[in-house]
Amino acid sequence: MKLRLSTDLVTGALFMALGAFAMVYGSRYAVGTASRMGAGYFPLLISSGLVLIGLVLLVRAIVSASGDSIGAIGWRPLALILAGVAGFGLLIDRLGLLPAGILLIVAARLADREWGIVETALLALGLTLGTAALFLWGLGLPIKLLRY
Amino acid sequence: MDVLSNLWLGFSVALSPWNLLYGFLGVLLGTIIGVLPGLGPVATISILLPFTFGLAPQAALIMLAGIYYGAQYGGSTTAILINLPGESSSVVTAIDGNQMARQGQAGLALATAAIASFLAGTFATLVIAVAAPALAEAALKFGPADYFSLMVFGLIAAVLLAHGSVVKAIGMILVGMLLGTVGIDVNTSVPRFTFGIPQFGDGMDFAVIAMGIFGIGETIVNLERSGTARVYMEKIKSLWPRPRDLKAMLAPAARGTLLGSALGVLPGGGPVLAAFSAYALEKKVSAQPERFGKGAIEGVAGPEAANNAAAQTSFIPLLTLGVPANAVMALMMGALMMHRLHPGPQLMNDRPELFWGLIASMWIGNLMLVVLNLPLVGIWAKMLTVPYRFLYPAVLIICCIGVYSVNNSALDILIATLFGFVGYLLYRLKCEPAPLLLGFILGPLIEENLRRALVITQGNPMVFIERPISATFLALTLVLIVVLAAPMIRAGRERVFKEEQA
Repeated sequence: MKLRLSTDLVTGALFMALGAFAMVYGSRYAVGTASRMGAGYFPLLISSGLVLIGLVLLVRAIVSASGDSIGAIGWRPLALILAGVAGFGLLIDRLGLLPAGILLIVAARLADREWGIVETALLALGLTLGTAALFLWGLGLPIKLLRY
Repeated sequence: MDVLSNLWLGFSVALSPWNLLYGFLGVLLGTIIGVLPGLGPVATISILLPFTFGLAPQAALIMLAGIYYGAQYGGSTTAILINLPGESSSVVTAIDGNQMARQGQAGLALATAAIASFLAGTFATLVIAVAAPALAEAALKFGPADYFSLMVFGLIAAVLLAHGSVVKAIGMILVGMLLGTVGIDVNTSVPRFTFGIPQFGDGMDFAVIAMGIFGIGETIVNLERSGTARVYMEKIKSLWPRPRDLKAMLAPAARGTLLGSALGVLPGGGPVLAAFSAYALEKKVSAQPERFGKGAIEGVAGPEAANNAAAQTSFIPLLTLGVPANAVMALMMGALMMHRLHPGPQLMNDRPELFWGLIASMWIGNLMLVVLNLPLVGIWAKMLTVPYRFLYPAVLIICCIGVYSVNNSALDILIATLFGFVGYLLYRLKCEPAPLLLGFILGPLIEENLRRALVITQGNPMVFIERPISATFLALTLVLIVVLAAPMIRAGRERVFKEEQA
């Protein structure tokens, strides 16, 4: 029997994994009693609930073998947008807003299949300087345009 | 007379030049972002949240409320002009509104939405002014056990009334509650799930989560299904409705207002449910139901009035009980808590100027929407023609700077990246992210009240059924669960939602 990777199946598995992880990792916190709850009491309650819900989804997906399929994942936008945002986070304290913003917007535009070099460059520079004007000089946020 | 003097206080606060300016800015920014296709109120508020960080609580709250109404109205504009509603309440407006636009009545549809919204907003403001003090007074009698049961009821109701899979929604609430436990436990001072990262000691920032899921995650989703949408703007001729049109929209708007005001107060209710119900109601009372879906003006006036009334009355549970009824209110609550304000029955007594100022600003915000939108609708329509390839990079960089500015922390941007991925994953798995936000905000409160209730009674769980208020909420919760479990009713509910969306 081949299992179909329906959304229910994957969601159930993820819920169970997250709940189980929280139970194991949270086992280091004292549970205590109902009248004197330890730090671990509530997390244990929640994570066991999550495991249970995950189980329901999983069993339902296997038994009924129906449900929506996940569909094709657009790796290009997913990877490039996340990389751009993460890159922004890594650069902002080290180099400043200008390089971080340019990196973010170039990565974001690359995520789209149709992009032009000149347009992307202008957009990166314009948006970065525009938001800098708004947030740094307008709202006075403590961010540096350039650090070196 | 009390209501009048309270409203007077409110208007004296809301009409101060600075607050007026922030309210205006909120409405303007909310409309600008809300008009963008694919961005609903939750996403819009998440993205614009950083603009309110630096303000005084009063101004921040007024601006946020303005953003909310603006986003709501902007979403309707998008729904009417291009058949591409944001996430939620304008789905219904799109049905007949877009048909009207195709028939060359875009101007009339937009004006109907604005006028119906304004009428509804005016009435809902009065409802809040009358109902909120009474409810807050009742809420002062609530003990920890009552709060616990109320919140459990609220979460279950939110699950029932939201569409999508019920089991998944419960799971999402639990995930949100689990995220809410991150940080130093206030009762035992034990750091929970901090993974040795000192910054996690203060807990996860809800703004970082919201911007990650709704700002970054939704951008990825939108890029994936990019397509071209047609804007029906060349046909906007006259915005001002004829007396005949005004007469046609009045009764539906009144019905929508009443229905929306009532449904907005319900936990899990709010604009979406109100709009769907109002549409169903209009179709039922209409002499010619076959006109619906083909550009019926009632199909715009009713739902638009209902969603705006509900958008406003959904503030009632938040401001009087400290319990957010839906994801937008969870965002509002998070924003209030960032300003060290704890919504609840005490807020009205401790900070009357803030409470009544907000309520007065709701009405002013609605007035601004009409004044702003009828003349400026041409500009909004033009914004829809700005290609998406220019818009999403702007959304991303605003989100990034916004996330950074929460704590001036670059680490927050990396966390937001993670939640951007989570947001995409949830979309793929057909899990609604809104319950997660609700669970995240309510989780710590539920834990706190559960603890307190059981400390008082030395661990006796009977307290939850011995106290009449708590018992009532638990009984209601039980009724809801029975309703949820009954397959016949569940099938009926799915049919209703399908029918409305078809």
